[in-house]
Amino acid sequence: MQKNALHILLADDDEDDRLFFNDAFEEVRVQTNVTFVHDGLQLMEHLLTPDVKLPDILFLDLNMPKKTGKECLIEIKKTEHLKNIIIAIYSTSSSEEDIEDTFIEGANIYIKKPSDFNTLKKIINEVVTLNWHYHTSGLNRDNFLLRLK
Amino acid sequence: MKWIPKFNSSNSLRVIFVIAVFILLFLSSIGYKHNQDLNESSKLVMHTYEINIQLERLMSAIKDAETGQRGYIITRNDRFLSPYTYSRDKVNTSFITLKKLTADNPKQQENLQKLFKLIIQRFTSFENCLKYSDPKTYDKRKLDNHMFGGRILMENIRFKVDEMNDIEKKYLQRRLKIYDQEISLSPVFSISLFLAALTFILLAYRQISNDIKRLIVINKKLLISSRLMSESEVIGKFSTWQWDLDSNAIDHSDNQYRMLGLRPRQFALDKDSFLHFVHPDDKENVSNAITNMGIKKTLPFVYYKLILPNNKLRYFKSTGKLLTDQHGSKILLGINFDITDEHLLNIELQERNKELEKSNQELASFNHVASHDLQEPLRKIQTFISRVSDADKAALSQSAKDYLDKIEVSAKRMRVLIDDLLLFSRTNTTKKEFLKSNLNDLLENAKGELTEVIDEKKAIITAGKLPKLDVIPYQIEQLFINLIGNSLKYSQENINPEITIECEKIHSYEYPDLLEQNIKKFYKITFTDNGMGFDPQFKETIFILFQRLHSKTDYPGTGIGLAICKKIVDNHRGHIIADSVPNQGSKFTVFLPE
Repeated sequence: MQKNALHILLADDDEDDRLFFNDAFEEVRVQTNVTFVHDGLQLMEHLLTPDVKLPDILFLDLNMPKKTGKECLIEIKKTEHLKNIIIAIYSTSSSEEDIEDTFIEGANIYIKKPSDFNTLKKIINEVVTLNWHYHTSGLNRDNFLLRLK
Repeated sequence: MKWIPKFNSSNSLRVIFVIAVFILLFLSSIGYKHNQDLNESSKLVMHTYEINIQLERLMSAIKDAETGQRGYIITRNDRFLSPYTYSRDKVNTSFITLKKLTADNPKQQENLQKLFKLIIQRFTSFENCLKYSDPKTYDKRKLDNHMFGGRILMENIRFKVDEMNDIEKKYLQRRLKIYDQEISLSPVFSISLFLAALTFILLAYRQISNDIKRLIVINKKLLISSRLMSESEVIGKFSTWQWDLDSNAIDHSDNQYRMLGLRPRQFALDKDSFLHFVHPDDKENVSNAITNMGIKKTLPFVYYKLILPNNKLRYFKSTGKLLTDQHGSKILLGINFDITDEHLLNIELQERNKELEKSNQELASFNHVASHDLQEPLRKIQTFISRVSDADKAALSQSAKDYLDKIEVSAKRMRVLIDDLLLFSRTNTTKKEFLKSNLNDLLENAKGELTEVIDEKKAIITAGKLPKLDVIPYQIEQLFINLIGNSLKYSQENINPEITIECEKIHSYEYPDLLEQNIKKFYKITFTDNGMGFDPQFKETIFILFQRLHSKTDYPGTGIGLAICKKIVDNHRGHIIADSVPNQGSKFTVFLPE
């Protein structure tokens, strides 16, 4: 593990998606440590492990077995020492309902899983280099859904 | 409410009758009096004549005696003496009768006494004449004296009788005069009174016959309307009842009995016998409603179940209203409806609704499957294709490269299809929040979405002023995107697309298609382009899902765009139509309610 590297946590039950995600991070020129969990339960266990290093950005899939992404989101935002983790929703769904709900529950950005590897790389680059303080203070329904320029 | 016809004539009729009766009573009392008076006067006349006759008899008896005596004196034959002998008895009989007749008149009694004395003297003179004419005691001088004295007495008697007759006649005349004065009413007056009474009675008769005619007409109408009422009760499955609050009697219509499965008027139906039919669940409720109705004088709708004698369950609804008639008596009028059919229909409808809700839920979960589960494998296919690097491709044979390209194109097409399908189903399933929106702003947004294509095709879009309407903003924006996008897509080669958007307010009666909506005013927004157009025979089918007029190689598309337009317009209770002249352009018209 590299020091000063950005610590990224991806919660996704889909093996292929984890693979794409890992490959994309390797090709991005930012120093990152990427950790994976396979479902919601595992995610919460990981986050609540004593002395664990909390992620800088949590990429959270919504549709996961055992505990859904939304449930995890609500729990994290309710837990005092976890609620400041930057959460990027990372989902196949682009339904208004999902976007609206996660916005209300306090997620920081909504990413629709792309269908092109290069797009994925661009997205990851965008997200890890984003000025979160600036983004979060000006967050609204319109810029919540990530759109590549 | 005038529900009992008024007969004002009844009072005047009474007055006329009373007057006529009084006149007749008056007339008959006068007639009675007349009769009495006549009786009285005829008795008086009789009385006078009787006295007259008796006096004449008296006279003739004395004359008979005189004549008989004369005959005897001349002939000395005893046969002449018999009238003389009987005359005394005759005189006495007449005298007694006269005494009786004049009993009420002292003056006549006195005269009668004097007359009697004269008669006695006369008879004494007869005796003396007989004595002195007898040859044994014959004395010519004395006989002459007595004969002469008899002559004078006879005249006195005649005088006295005449006097008495005169008195009676005068008395009679005086009495008759008094009676005449007493009969105050002249016959003319009586007859006119009688005629007046007759007129009154005739008037009353006319009035009565008029009233009867009116009554017959009204009665006929009543009969018809009561027949109509009872027929409509049977057809409409309802019954009526009247609760007379003064007498506390309830009268149910025949159909009430029928609806309860009884024969009309099978027995007197009252509160308790009615409650007997009510389902145990509703008994208390209905009983309370009836009690409250008596207190509050009104009955709000009450719903309950009845169990008929054949054990069938019927659903009922009742209501009532207080009515005060012109005589001030209070009657509660009520209606019972048999709503079993409606109720069952309602239940069926509720079940259908549940089914619909269920199928809507299924549709929503299908939406979820489409949005997530179908997209996921497709996304992976596309991502994996994108992972095949150019270096990898170089190692492939030409045909393998072609196949890979075709896989990529097909995957893209599938992506478009899924996205459009999702869009289509979302126009129906997502929340429909109507907001007052300026359609000009929404049009600008739509143009913004299409900037790339507009610039590429150098399209000119001219739009008139659009209204502010209560709409679902993102749907109207989608509608504009689809319609303008459609025009841009099917433009003619080498001609810059021109799209004109116009708007005007119209009445629904100008367009029969709009009348179904029961909305009067609409905004008509037209999108006219100079594109390639389409065969007008397809102007309706183009709005059907997956209907395409062109091959997908010429014009990529899913056949969902216009179906979405139709759905959006339907969501707004509007209407959309299309028309076209091939190679000249198409015109899409959207009607949105004001």
